[in-house]
Amino acid sequence: MTDQLGALTSIFTEFYYWVTVVLMFLIHVGFCMYEVGASRYKHHQHTLMKNTMLIPLVTVTWFFFGWWIYWAFPTGPGLAPSIMTESTGLVLGGGFGGNDLANPTNALMAVNLNDHIMGVFWAAFLLFSWTAASIVSGAVIERITTFAFGILAIAIGSVFWTIDASWGWHFDGWMLKILGYHDAYASGVIHAIAGGFALGVLIVLGPRIGKFSSSGEPRNIGPRNPWLVTVGLFLIYTGFWGFYAACNVPIYDLGPEYGMEGVTFFTATNIYLTPTTLSGITMNFLMSLSGGLLAGYVISKGDPFWTYSSGLAGIICASAGNDLYHPIQSMIIGMIGVVIAYKMHYWVEKKYKIDDAVGAVAVHGYAGFVGLVICGFVLNGYPSSGYSVGAMWDGTNYAAINPLGMFIGAIIMFFVLGMLPGYIIAKVLNGMGKLRIPREVELAGLDYTIMEEAKEDEKAVASASR
Amino acid sequence: MATVTNWIDHLSASEVQGSVYPGVGSEGVLVIIAILIWVGWHVISSKQEDGKMNEIVRKRPSSNDWKSNITDG
Repeated sequence: MTDQLGALTSIFTEFYYWVTVVLMFLIHVGFCMYEVGASRYKHHQHTLMKNTMLIPLVTVTWFFFGWWIYWAFPTGPGLAPSIMTESTGLVLGGGFGGNDLANPTNALMAVNLNDHIMGVFWAAFLLFSWTAASIVSGAVIERITTFAFGILAIAIGSVFWTIDASWGWHFDGWMLKILGYHDAYASGVIHAIAGGFALGVLIVLGPRIGKFSSSGEPRNIGPRNPWLVTVGLFLIYTGFWGFYAACNVPIYDLGPEYGMEGVTFFTATNIYLTPTTLSGITMNFLMSLSGGLLAGYVISKGDPFWTYSSGLAGIICASAGNDLYHPIQSMIIGMIGVVIAYKMHYWVEKKYKIDDAVGAVAVHGYAGFVGLVICGFVLNGYPSSGYSVGAMWDGTNYAAINPLGMFIGAIIMFFVLGMLPGYIIAKVLNGMGKLRIPREVELAGLDYTIMEEAKEDEKAVASASR
Repeated sequence: MATVTNWIDHLSASEVQGSVYPGVGSEGVLVIIAILIWVGWHVISSKQEDGKMNEIVRKRPSSNDWKSNITDG
C-alpha cells in the first residue's frame, strides 16, 4: 500500500468486513436466546451451553481445515477446469491442494503487514459456519449429548457447508460453470444444507419423549419463554443484515476485471463478482422479510412463534436471487417460501414422526430449497458469474442461470451435502451409544445435576431475612 | 524469538516482511499443538458428560423432581 487511494480501498474493505463480522455475531446471540426460549426449564442451561460451545469448536476447526477446504476444492476436484491459472492471473498460491493460501501454516493466516483481507474474510465465512451449525442446534434440543452435537457442528460448520461453498459460492466453483448455480445470499449454501443436515440427524435421533401420542398424533411443545424467542429472532434478523453485507464485495472496478479496455465501472458485487448494490439488496431484504411475516401471520393464524420464524423464512427463500430481484418479487417469493415451508413442516412431522423442536428444517431447509428452485426460473438466462464474460474464462462458457441447474443445485445442497452426511454421522454416533442422552436424564432434565448442586444455597437465600 | 526488534529497519527494507508474530517458521508446530488441545478437549469433556449422565441414571429422579429445586426468592 504505497498510494493513498489503494490504501483507502484496502483499509475500507478490511473495516467493512470487520463490521459485518460484529453484526453477524448477533445471529448467534439470537440463536442462543431463541433456543433457550423454546426449551423447557429443566433443559435451559444445557441448551445454552450446547449452542455456545459450537463457537470454539467450529472456530478452531475452521482454522485447521474449514477455510482451506473452501479454497482447495472449487473444481470438485476434477469436475470442471479451474480459471485460477497463470493466464488469468488468479493463481493464489499452489501446492497444498488447489491453493495453499488458507492452509493453517500459511503466513497469511496471522497478522501480516502485507495483507489486510485474509483475517476478516476468514472470520466472515466463519460466522456463516456458526450459523450453519446453530441451525442444526435448535432442531435437536433436549435430547442430544453435547459430545455428539460438537461432532455434528464441526461436520456441518467446518466440512460440509464449506464444500458446498467451494462448489457453488466461489468464483471458480464447478456448480457455476456446469449448472449455472446462483445463490447470492445463501438460500442453499447455508440454509438448505443446514436444514437438510438437521433432518438427517433428526431421523436417527428420534423425537423428544412425549412429543407423539401412542396413536402417533403430534403434540405441541410450545416455546416456554416467548419473549426470549421474540428477541432472539429480532437479533437474528439484525445479524442477517450483516450477513447480506458480508456476502458482497463492497467496491470493485469491473472494467479491467472483465477485460473491458478503457472501461471503469466501480460497484459493489455479489460473491460471484457480478454487480449489485448494497442499497438495492437492503430493499429486497426488507421486502422479503415483510412477505414472510405477512404470509406467516395468515397461514399460522397469528401464531407468534411461526410468524416470527416466517419472517426469517421469507428472507431465506428470496436470498438466492436478492442481488437482482425487484423488491416486490422478493416479497412474493418470500411469501411462497413460507407457505410451502409451513405446510411441509406439519406434513413431515405427522407422516414421518420427525420432531424438529424449532422448525429449523422448515424455516431453513425447505424455504432455502424452494428459494433456489424459484431463482432458477426468475433469473433464468442471467450470467452465473462475473468470470463468464470477457477474457477471464479460458474454457467453455459458464452456464447461465437456469431452472434445471438450480433444481439440481438444490438437491445437492439439501440432500447430497446436507441430509445424507447428517444421517450417516448420526448413525455412527448412535452406534457408539453417544448420540442421545439416557431416558432417565431426559425425564429428569439435563440441568438436574446443576440444579441439585445449587439447591441448598438457593433455599438458604430464599428463606434468608437478613 | 522476536521477529521485529526495530520497526524503522523493518519497514524501510526493500521488501517488507509481512509476518511479524514471534517464532516465524514454527507454524507447523503450533498447529500440531492446537490439534492436540482440540482432540483432548473432546476426550475430557465427553468423559465428564458421561459421568454426569451416569450419576443421574443411578439416582433415577422422577420427571417432576426438578421442580423442587426451583426457589424464587
